[in-house]
Amino acid sequence: MIVAKLIDTTLCIGCKACEVACQEWNDQEYTMGTFDGSYQTKPELEANFWNLIKFNEVEKDGATSWLMSKYQCMHCADAGCLAACPAPGAIVPLANGTIDFVHENCIGCGYCITGCPFDVPRLNATTKKAYKCTLCSDRTAVGLEPACIKTCPTNCLTFGERDELLRMAETRTGELKADGFADAGIYNPQGVGGTNVLYVLKHASEPEQYGLPKDPVIPWTVSLWKGPMKWMGTLMFWGTVLGAFFHFVIYGPQDPEKHGHPEEPSDKS
Amino acid sequence: MTNPNPEIRIPRFDAYERVMHWMAALSFFYATLTGLALWSPKLYWMATMMGGGYHIRGSHPWVGVGFAVVMGVMARRWANGMRLDADDRIWLTRMHKYATHDHAALPPSGRFNAGQKMLFWAQLATTLALFVSGFVLWFPEWMPRSLRLLSIAAHPLAAIGSITSILVHVYMGTAAVPHSMRAMLRGYVLPEWARFHHPKWYKAWRASHHV
Repeated sequence: MIVAKLIDTTLCIGCKACEVACQEWNDQEYTMGTFDGSYQTKPELEANFWNLIKFNEVEKDGATSWLMSKYQCMHCADAGCLAACPAPGAIVPLANGTIDFVHENCIGCGYCITGCPFDVPRLNATTKKAYKCTLCSDRTAVGLEPACIKTCPTNCLTFGERDELLRMAETRTGELKADGFADAGIYNPQGVGGTNVLYVLKHASEPEQYGLPKDPVIPWTVSLWKGPMKWMGTLMFWGTVLGAFFHFVIYGPQDPEKHGHPEEPSDKS
Repeated sequence: MTNPNPEIRIPRFDAYERVMHWMAALSFFYATLTGLALWSPKLYWMATMMGGGYHIRGSHPWVGVGFAVVMGVMARRWANGMRLDADDRIWLTRMHKYATHDHAALPPSGRFNAGQKMLFWAQLATTLALFVSGFVLWFPEWMPRSLRLLSIAAHPLAAIGSITSILVHVYMGTAAVPHSMRAMLRGYVLPEWARFHHPKWYKAWRASHHV
């Protein structure tokens, strides 16, 4: 059973209780940030801050409005962090669709940061390892819902079976359309095989307004490295090794006695 | 004098060149093993062999910087002598003659033949590419995403070119050209070796030593 989070951005009131719950459950110390004139707790995710409510300020028809979004790991079906990770067992896709980081195996190379199309993982400066939302794998494993879901006061957040949540999202999208939000829709980008964090957006054709990439895919340079380049490197390595070996078998070493140079300077001097 | 005196030892690489060469070789070897471990999870056992993934993530960049510095020092010593001359250009068009031991068809080489010169320039180019892209990958949290995306493909690509050309270099220096290893380990070669492999260099040495 694939589980997911559904984030109905239309119901978010920006209370940030989910941020607190995330910090509490994961026992993370809060580090002070800088106040930049926004209601947002921090400008960006941090190695010990995995769940950020974004207060996206959008100007429309002379009025400013907030488009709330919850910024965190998307738990992609086709995860870029996993594709780029060199350390076996450091990034583990669980059977329920969670992409979990196992820090004993993390070597801190930071390739997951480059591989992630959502720019989510962060390196901890002290431990030199990468961190992000675990979908509370230590809660879901024992049948509890993630901490952020548990604490949400408006039912903006729902946890459950992915297919069921998609049906709920469809229903909600229909309601929004009936209410006059013609552009309402679900954010479930197919470029990464779909995500296990789903959004209901009022303006689904412009997810950038929510700080979400329009068509995220695993970066092509990562795909190039993990695809054609791997074949090319293997072919070139064995081609050279075998080529050298068989060159020796066929032609043998260079031998001045046998392969003498008829125009060598010593003969002419 | 048709037959060179086999007793004479001709100095080929001085101690400075030999030390630089082997420092480059050892750091290259280390960076290759640890780099291959990061290149594919299938080769991650190399990381275990070299002290574990967490350790090599720290050491690989430093050893890489060491390699780049040594390469820079080597380039300062050798770059002038690595320019291709007219004979070298003809040599390169007849490389297949060299590979099939048809040495009569080749123009004479100086201290380095055209193949060695090409290896030198290839190594210099890949070292530069590895150094720049490696520096970007070293500090993922500080480097712009666009540079990281470029480097994550450029670094292994340059490494493929570098490792492949070094494999050829190792084959040439060990099995393919007997006694060339002595030049890099002990520093000298024998006259017959010099006369056959590097005729112009040998001629110049004889002229300057009046033998």
